[in-house]
Amino acid sequence: MASNTEQMSARRHDNYILQAWLCITLALFFGALLAGVQAALGPVIAENKINETKEKVPELVFGADAAVDSAGRPALEITPSTIRTDHAGGTRFYSVFEARFADGTPAGWVTKASGQGYADRIELLVGLTPDADRISGLYILDQKETPGLGNKIVEVSWRNQFIRKPTDQPLKVVKRGARAPEEIDAVSGATISSDSVVAIVNRVVSDMKTHLAQGPLENKE
Amino acid sequence: MAEQPTATERFVQGILPENPVYRQLLGLCPALAVTSSMQAAVTMAGAVLFVLLCANVVTSLIRDLLKPHLRIVIFTLTIATFVTIADRFLAAYLYQMSKTLGPYIPLIIVNCLIICRCEVCASKQSPLTAAADAVGQSLGYGLALASIAGVREILGTGMFFGLRVLPPSWPDWAVMVLPPGAFISLGLLLGGVNWYSQRNAKKN
Amino acid sequence: MAQQAAISQKPDPDDAQGPSLHVAPSPHIHDRAFTTHRMMVDVVLALTPAVAMAVYLFRWSALIHITLCVGVCLLSELIFTRMRGRKATLNDLSAVVTGLILALSMPATAPWYAAVIASAAAIGLGKIIFGGLGMNIFNPAMVGRAFVMISFAGVMGAGAYESASGMVDVISQATPMNALKQSGTFAMVPNLFLGLTNGSIGETSALACLLGGIYLCIRRTASWEIPAAMIATVLLIAGAADIVGHFGGRLVLQHLLGGALFFGAFFIATDPVSSPLSSRGKLIFGAGSGALVMLLRMFSGYPEGVMFAVLLMNAVTPLINRWTIPRTMGEGF
Repeated sequence: MASNTEQMSARRHDNYILQAWLCITLALFFGALLAGVQAALGPVIAENKINETKEKVPELVFGADAAVDSAGRPALEITPSTIRTDHAGGTRFYSVFEARFADGTPAGWVTKASGQGYADRIELLVGLTPDADRISGLYILDQKETPGLGNKIVEVSWRNQFIRKPTDQPLKVVKRGARAPEEIDAVSGATISSDSVVAIVNRVVSDMKTHLAQGPLENKE
Repeated sequence: MAEQPTATERFVQGILPENPVYRQLLGLCPALAVTSSMQAAVTMAGAVLFVLLCANVVTSLIRDLLKPHLRIVIFTLTIATFVTIADRFLAAYLYQMSKTLGPYIPLIIVNCLIICRCEVCASKQSPLTAAADAVGQSLGYGLALASIAGVREILGTGMFFGLRVLPPSWPDWAVMVLPPGAFISLGLLLGGVNWYSQRNAKKN
Repeated sequence: MAQQAAISQKPDPDDAQGPSLHVAPSPHIHDRAFTTHRMMVDVVLALTPAVAMAVYLFRWSALIHITLCVGVCLLSELIFTRMRGRKATLNDLSAVVTGLILALSMPATAPWYAAVIASAAAIGLGKIIFGGLGMNIFNPAMVGRAFVMISFAGVMGAGAYESASGMVDVISQATPMNALKQSGTFAMVPNLFLGLTNGSIGETSALACLLGGIYLCIRRTASWEIPAAMIATVLLIAGAADIVGHFGGRLVLQHLLGGALFFGAFFIATDPVSSPLSSRGKLIFGAGSGALVMLLRMFSGYPEGVMFAVLLMNAVTPLINRWTIPRTMGEGF
């Protein structure tokens, strides 16, 4: 017959809580630590995420010329929001930044969008005029296109083609020598990357045009 | 049981004789994935230093309380905590870099290098030795990442730490900054290290 | 002669223990006349029409590329085999063949450094790293070509073949495959067949490749199964696409004669080291390459796919070999 102490130690050995006390204590302690870190850094990270886009808004609203002279640019008030679009293809959500001058007159819209490129997803920002009748700028946030070919879509000289393009008809990619207002020169040797960017821009324009012209955030004058 | 190495020995061993990448072949996933530029490689090495140092010291402090069958759970818990802290910290203060490194910071949790050091050194030796071991191993790891990243960045972009070191007429070897370049560089450097150490071994 | 002596007589300097049993991996078939050297001389001879066509068409650029590639391949072979502590194997001419095939697969407009880097990568990364001739998994010339293709996409890609400032007329046109891909235009068939079009310097003339290829097959240096299966598969798939799209045969001819198909089928895919051993395996290899060529040409961003097709099939060659091990008589399936 087992003695009392032996039974005790056997019971202790079988008790999961006692076995795992260190694990549980550490988990509680680390949990508290992580909660503290999150509380301290969470707002900073959230701000980083918004700033990443927000910093680009003036450049996209004013176009390339104003971007060079950032000092003389009037201050903008930027309001982020999310817009839902419904159509045959399904529902899409866009993160949109509304830019207004200090006196409240609208300056333009910047929409974040993404789509499949040649290698991976391309994430970009499209700037539109207040009436959404012209494109005011394009910026590539993230891409992994072929170095030396497709990644030239990030270059200013290529992106600047989009500035002042009318939004009444979809843009079209042509191989060198764009003449008509809706034509965009392909990056040479990277037709697919160029097509992808133009397709994303066209989708943003067609989805957002009516929404933005009405002013979805607040009533426009 | 054989005598354990001292703190100094642990520190020195980590750098070259037991280099994590070139000798132990540990932590190869980030060594391939984030070595397309020096900045990314150095940030990665810094994150590994932080995580390994904290994990090693904590593990060493509680080494007498560890139960053999539950030790891996404790190691993972500790490592995951410090990796999360490192990840949040980068996202808060080095946002662009944190985007570049992407999932590879959270993936330090499953980096064999760290759990290996907890098991081999920290769970058996004093906090001081464990700390020396962590610093030595991280330096060795950083050295390895930097050597791969150096080769890839210079050949692939003509730059080093984002500064141009080769003439602008240098044709960028794009393949070197792409994934194949990582495998080629790591393989050739590993071969070079083996060749060198074999030659030394023959001489002695 | 020196080689045969080395195989049969000279004891291995590594084993000083005296007599020992030499066990070599299969195949154990031995033909005294059938040496690496002879095979390589055959390939060089077979490439002569393509080289002549290249020099006629692209003049100096062809000569420069051929000299550079062959020279750097030989030099790399010498240096890298030294580094591995092996005897240099320049005499078997395999480096010359790699250099020639590599040069003929380059665009005439490629910069000199691309040729140099491609050659060093072909021999170093494509061959010596795996243990030298006979050990490589991938076709060395194509490894070098792919290395620079990915590295210098801007000056090596399909768009880079055209150059308005070139001294030679053909360079000012788009390559037939690129023209087909981008704008759906067809080149004139006689030009395609003779090779009076732009393209990689050795691939343009289907006729020259066919002449050399048939010579290789008759000499048994290349196995007829691979090119036959590869070209037949392309014919089949392009034929189907032609009928579906009502092109009246123009699409088939463009796919057959327009790109690197004949050059690749006869000279690249037939590399005996990186292609399967059995004839059933060779048929599978050829058909797979042909199907991949068409897949890449029709659905990828590249107008031409012979290089990647052969490299991909090289990778599955060990599998094909396992799959097609000849069975002993009487052994069941």
